[in-house]
Amino acid sequence: MPSSTESNKPDTMPQVEPLAGQSCKRIDGADKVAGRAMYGADLFPGQAELFAKVVRSPEAHARVLSLDTSKALAVEGVVGVYTHKDVGGTNRHGLIRRDHPVLVEDHVRYRGDALALVVAKSERAAESARDLVEAHFEKLPVIGTIDQALASGAPKIHPDGNVMGDKRIRKGDVEAALRTSDVVVSDTFETQTTDHAFLDLEAGIARWDGELLTIHAAGQWVHEERRLVALALGLGPERIRIIQPCTGGAFGGREDISIQIHLGLAALHHPGKTIALRYSRSESMIARHKRHALRIHYTLGAKRDGTLTAARIVVYSDEGAYASTGIAVMRKAASHATGPLRVPNVSVDVYGVHTNNNPTGAMRGFGACQMAIASNGIIERLARVLKMGPVTLFEKNLIEPGDEVTTGQHPENITIKECLRAALDKFHSKPYPNDPLPPHLKRGWGVSVMCFGLGYGDGFPDCSRAKVAIDEQGIITVYTGGVDVGQGLLNMAAQVAGTELGAKLEHVRVVAADTGRTDESGSSSATRQTYFTGNAVRMAASELREQLLDITGNCLKVHPHEISLGPGGAKNTPGFAYETANPDNHMSLGDLVREGKKRGYPLEARAMFKPRTVPGDPNTGKSPKAFVTYLFGAHVSQVLVDIETGETRVERHIGCHDVGKAINPQSVEGQIAGGVAQGIGMALMEEVVMRDGRMLNPGFTDYIVPTIRDIPPVEAIYLEHDDPGGPYGAHGVGEPPLIGAVPAVLAAIYNATGAAPNKLPCNPENMWWMLNDPQRRGDFTVTQAM
Amino acid sequence: MSLNTNDNTTESTTAPDTFHLHCTINGQPIERDVEVDRSLLSFLRDDLGLTGTKGSCLEGECGSCTVLIDGVPFNSCVTLAGRVNGRSVTTIEGFAQDDKPAILQEKFLETGSVQCGYCSPGLILTAYALLQANPEITEEELIKGMEANICRCTGYTAIIEALRRARREMLK
Repeated sequence: MPSSTESNKPDTMPQVEPLAGQSCKRIDGADKVAGRAMYGADLFPGQAELFAKVVRSPEAHARVLSLDTSKALAVEGVVGVYTHKDVGGTNRHGLIRRDHPVLVEDHVRYRGDALALVVAKSERAAESARDLVEAHFEKLPVIGTIDQALASGAPKIHPDGNVMGDKRIRKGDVEAALRTSDVVVSDTFETQTTDHAFLDLEAGIARWDGELLTIHAAGQWVHEERRLVALALGLGPERIRIIQPCTGGAFGGREDISIQIHLGLAALHHPGKTIALRYSRSESMIARHKRHALRIHYTLGAKRDGTLTAARIVVYSDEGAYASTGIAVMRKAASHATGPLRVPNVSVDVYGVHTNNNPTGAMRGFGACQMAIASNGIIERLARVLKMGPVTLFEKNLIEPGDEVTTGQHPENITIKECLRAALDKFHSKPYPNDPLPPHLKRGWGVSVMCFGLGYGDGFPDCSRAKVAIDEQGIITVYTGGVDVGQGLLNMAAQVAGTELGAKLEHVRVVAADTGRTDESGSSSATRQTYFTGNAVRMAASELREQLLDITGNCLKVHPHEISLGPGGAKNTPGFAYETANPDNHMSLGDLVREGKKRGYPLEARAMFKPRTVPGDPNTGKSPKAFVTYLFGAHVSQVLVDIETGETRVERHIGCHDVGKAINPQSVEGQIAGGVAQGIGMALMEEVVMRDGRMLNPGFTDYIVPTIRDIPPVEAIYLEHDDPGGPYGAHGVGEPPLIGAVPAVLAAIYNATGAAPNKLPCNPENMWWMLNDPQRRGDFTVTQAM
Repeated sequence: MSLNTNDNTTESTTAPDTFHLHCTINGQPIERDVEVDRSLLSFLRDDLGLTGTKGSCLEGECGSCTVLIDGVPFNSCVTLAGRVNGRSVTTIEGFAQDDKPAILQEKFLETGSVQCGYCSPGLILTAYALLQANPEITEEELIKGMEANICRCTGYTAIIEALRRARREMLK
């Protein structure tokens, strides 16, 4: 029987500290801080042979009459200029509707639309040639706003017209309940278009060797991107491999196709050559989808004591030129319209409207974020009318275990009250500043509450897969199709597998997001990877563990239930299996693997995790299980407003989220702090400014994102109420912190100034108008006042 | 007809003049012909393969491309390569050659300041330059000095903690 030397004996017997729950350092962190991590554009040196550039439309809405590529082709170094005629497949992509042309045939719908693709021996030549592609247009009226799109006689952006779709929710009798309410409060909230502003620009390489098209490009769901490349280019998916390079942020901004199909198109036309394509910042901003700007008409009724009676909500959403994930965003907006509030009668109508602005799609918060601004904001207004404290009004109306959310689902773990209480306790643990302020400065604080349905939900297939293997050195490798865009999926997967197999982090490798080596694991979006891929990894690792226990039992002559797995000892070797009661009876994992192979064990295991959800009723939106689980959170923000300049500074911000279980507490706190910073950016400064389909600020000089001086140290709190469906009780945290942050900042501004913000962002200009224009100051309406 | 997209290199249609550049990069003497309109960022990445320096906004707003020129942080995206003639450039690759930079890198890792990691090289170089330039620097001054480096993932909370810890150790 193989046995290890005494010095290599497991040293942490009998109990091993599980990796799940530890703030392990990022496994890709050392490469990142040393500049060794390879992002998309880092693959160019030494590999790029030809450079592609995309010719984009200078018109927002037009018919293409002709496209002349002859001058571009004449540029020295140019090896090809391609138009839609050169695309072999459907020439379309789109995550829900395949409506987005790879290269436009005849109808330009926004200023980012791609007309042609230039390929040249140098990037400089490709850029020169791009500017020489001559297009002639018949200009069409540009639809720059929702109202223009809905006007009678407006030109149709798509054959079906400008209304892309609608979503509705009907619960109870809203009109009757509003009539008998003591108070009815209404306001219109306008949220702005925002950009993801991830730092790592779209860049990648591709090569077609006659058999396989290999594309290295960052997305959020490599297997779906492979399907979209296949359809658009007319190539079987089995002949395409997509590999995710190290990725510098996404936040939803990599969900839609960016460079993948254009790279593939160029590669197919130049076999055996490695094609490189990257965007500049302005191209990235002009081409990419954005966060939906919503106009939310919110009417809320209540009894004199503050009990909510009914909500009537009508939402218009600027969907831009193409569908993107807009339909899912509308659904998420509708299903989160009343947040974690108990409202017995609800009607929601969400209308998605096409314009000639950028397509709008996924961005952290995904419709739920905009609705939280409105649902929290309307409670703040109601509190003033009722002369109640907002916290009291919230506490009176927050859902409790057994209650239902907007869609009628009864979530298993409702912990919103615990979240709000923990956030407030943290806030009140420091004295509120009472230093005398000059008259132009006003301080205030406010709270917000949020809930979030995790995963795609609404019956949409949602699935993660994983494979876990162990080699003869005892090294464990996790294979998952999920992508790490910076959020920490690699650590999550490694820590879960390590927990099941009693391993140290340094003995776990993760291979992620490579369609050639990993099974499909869904997108890194919808806050779903910890819950979905975490479960799949745990299931696969657990099956592998059973194999190891069986082999050990056989070798050490003990029953599997008497065996433990643990990490190696002083020499830091990979782990051991040992008899729990008698650790001297042990063997190394490497020896186990060799023994297992002799006995014909696979020494790897695959698993799939695919819980079902139920589509909402088309007429009422009602669903017993719209989402697999719900997440809850509450924030407190404290601001200082200069009412002369309209400048607002966040002095403190507390974000509390129930994460079920923090698999990596430091990552959880990092997600909370990062989400809060993006929320403060959305509340106070970020806005993509569009005029007649033209983006006025496609760069970081004019699109302002928060710096280190704009964000106070975020006070992150996480609660751990086990989620029965999640791995070790974990569910996730990605999107909720942004959703909670924005309304808390707005509530603090209201508290500080007495003016209720309803137009975002609260930048100095909008703040000045709100504070100085009597028409806008506190312009919500009270139609029944007790 | 195309958009002005503020490109990675330039818009000119003819090959530009070149310049014979002598400089020191990460301690190594370098001698190359470069186009007069070439950015230092592009020179480092595309000619020398030093991809640890990251391009992001490409207009001097985000600090991702920060390198040290004679110890002073510069945005390499808006610095012409010719400007470093006769000077010494330090990039993230040439950085951890004594133990003080490694302290910063270690503090970034241990505090969770690295999520997507794209801003990390620029942040570390900027912080190092500030700490080297002024051994008496206060915590507040240090944080204020980092405002030209954007991080989109972390909310800066962990980074502030990393800077505090690194400052304490480096100034010992």
